[in-house]
Amino acid sequence: MQRVGVVLDEGGLRIALPDGHTLDWRLPDLRALRDQADTEALVLAPAGTLTLERLILRDQALIKRVRARAPALDRRAPVTNKGRLAAWAAGAIASVATIIFVLVPVMADQLATLLPPKGERALGDATFEQIRTALGGESFVPVETCEAPEGLAALAKMRARINAEDDLPYPLTVTVLDHDMVNAFALPGGRIIIFRGLLEEAANAEEVAAVFAHEIGHVVNRDPTRDALRLAGSIGVLGLIFGDFAGGTVVLILANQLINAKYSQKAESGADDYAHDKLTAAGLPPAALGTFFDRLRAEYGDAEGLAAHFASHPQMTARIEAALEAQAEAEGRGRIGAPVLTAAEWRALREVCGPGAAPDAPRLDRPDRPAPRTPDVRQGGERGQDSGLGGRKKP
Amino acid sequence: MAFADLRTDYAGRGAPLFRLALKTGVLTVLTLGFYRFWMKTRMRRYYWSAIRPGGVPMEYTAQATEKLLGFLIAVVILAFYIGVVNLILMFFSFSLFAGNAPAYAVSVVGLVPIFFFAQYRARRYILARTRWRGIRFGLEPGVKGYVWRAMLHWAITILTLGILWPRMTFALEKYRTDRTWYGDAKFAQGGRWQDLMGAMKHVYLGAAIMGGGTLALSLSLSPIWSLAIVMGGVWTGLGLSYWRAESFKRLTEWKTLGDVGFRCHPRGGTVVGIYILGSLAISGLLIALVFGLMMILGIAVSMIDPGVLERGFSNLDNLASVPGWIITLLGVVAYFSVFLFWGVLKEVFIKLPLVRHFAETTEILNPGALAQVRQRPRDEFAEAEGFADALPLGGGF
Repeated sequence: MQRVGVVLDEGGLRIALPDGHTLDWRLPDLRALRDQADTEALVLAPAGTLTLERLILRDQALIKRVRARAPALDRRAPVTNKGRLAAWAAGAIASVATIIFVLVPVMADQLATLLPPKGERALGDATFEQIRTALGGESFVPVETCEAPEGLAALAKMRARINAEDDLPYPLTVTVLDHDMVNAFALPGGRIIIFRGLLEEAANAEEVAAVFAHEIGHVVNRDPTRDALRLAGSIGVLGLIFGDFAGGTVVLILANQLINAKYSQKAESGADDYAHDKLTAAGLPPAALGTFFDRLRAEYGDAEGLAAHFASHPQMTARIEAALEAQAEAEGRGRIGAPVLTAAEWRALREVCGPGAAPDAPRLDRPDRPAPRTPDVRQGGERGQDSGLGGRKKP
Repeated sequence: MAFADLRTDYAGRGAPLFRLALKTGVLTVLTLGFYRFWMKTRMRRYYWSAIRPGGVPMEYTAQATEKLLGFLIAVVILAFYIGVVNLILMFFSFSLFAGNAPAYAVSVVGLVPIFFFAQYRARRYILARTRWRGIRFGLEPGVKGYVWRAMLHWAITILTLGILWPRMTFALEKYRTDRTWYGDAKFAQGGRWQDLMGAMKHVYLGAAIMGGGTLALSLSLSPIWSLAIVMGGVWTGLGLSYWRAESFKRLTEWKTLGDVGFRCHPRGGTVVGIYILGSLAISGLLIALVFGLMMILGIAVSMIDPGVLERGFSNLDNLASVPGWIITLLGVVAYFSVFLFWGVLKEVFIKLPLVRHFAETTEILNPGALAQVRQRPRDEFAEAEGFADALPLGGGF
């Protein structure tokens, strides 16, 4: 470090060193260091990133003149490692994509079938309690389960009629939760949760049976377990990429939703197919799944575009069509039998959360309802596979 | 010829730092976090240039693209570990223990060596990109020794309930300092860890008061003892500020760079004041910000639907007439504003005053010897501090 004499002329800065030598810095080559704390001084460097010389000017008049005449003072240093940057960026994207889209899903698929039932059970139980508490809202009191004996008996009859016990790796646990949401979902370990809102929204017992069969389909395919394992693998990798900026959790959840939506669509179609088969075998109308979706679509609209991508379910139209096809086939073979529940049993099921909780007839004539805002059931951590109704809350 | 001791000036100011932090913070949020490499580089450039030993600013010469490259390298290496290993751990955890706690535990323990690895490598990168009077700093390679030492010292510290924290601080600081260079001159960390224990005395005392209070409370059930617990807590908090100032002072004064020495006289009281006043300023401003945001939200909502004013804001259902996406958008903006301002205000009201205090109270003794120091070669170091950037290690530096 040394004190130097500086002269500014047409060509540039002439710097006189104490040992008698002079340096000439051309004006177009001059760069000012950026983001400097000392506003009284101007720190100059010759162009290039690796240069060592620095000229610190403190004379305000000289600083003004240099600022006025040096054309590229604030130009940024050129990016010198473009090639390597591009190569490693490609490598990083390829490796993350392989892990999230190939390795983790394939491993999750394999491991889900190997997980002992006891482990799955624990996973499901933990998630169930988280969901109950999350739905309790501000009070943090878990949502009540509904246990009117006649209603549960009707549910058991429905379950016996669907007759899926032989497909199941473990016994089912079916719970009705006292909540407005029009939804049902399956959790790891054979837990199926149906919301009171769904029982109220359904026009008849066949529609409930159809959703029930759909959820059993998820259990048979072990979708919830697969999803939980996939989440364990991919959320950490996503966290790696986004860092902890702005409490990154929000971005993480969105990004993960986007990735999982693709698998879930496959899982939903698989569960639909299973439901169609089981319903047909039981002599129940597969179209019930379709009519239920149809009415929801009339009320809430189809999810299109980006919203559909986040909704994690194939668009309802496609699913309704699939249900109608299954219905035509079942009718063609003459397989539609007796109703799943008697009128009295259906009433009992609708009142499983207590008498008067459900209105006598589904209210279909509710004009001009605002689009409901939907609480997300899956906030509680590992997620379940829901019925494809997108967790709509009745206003 | 004897030179006067070099005092350190500090040129950092709150307003320009606030503008820089806010601008780079907003860009980081808008780019989903990818501007963070530029943000970090620019913030460091500011902080470095503010510290001026002998009136000459330090310079941080790193390029943000270097950091980006290092991050990409770390992602390629870490993504496999994080994705596949975590999934397998989760599987075994549920198969064998029917719960996810063992998986989290093993996963975290597995990351511990990577954490220390990242810490040392990040320091090497930062020092390699730091210059003063045109001469580079540097840190020798030696990450392996650092990782096992750090793990051992942490284990000992945890086993002794934190009592030997100063021993760990000293040992790790010595390991790093003894490998730090300024040009062709090597730093050395003198002193003994036993002499650092005294800097922790107020923390020990506060913890002892809390422990005694808890014991007395559980024995006598007289609520008066909870007062002792509170007092002990306050004492510990103040003691931590004292520890920060005093440990910095002792460790700095025990350092030498050839014939060059250091004098340092930070005051624990000033550090405490910075924390207390800084926290008050931050919370006051954040409350004002939240209040302002609520006002704007309320005005925006009432402009869309004046009826809301009559129904009141007490119930969310009253807002049903406002399109859901507007509510969501306003909510997201509010969330990020609060988060952003919290980070920015912390820089301005805590970090800047702390750095200023430590810089202004540090002097370089016998600076004449610095004239002998010659330049060291550039440390290329492509990985930069990628591992530290990829793992959420917090600030660290």
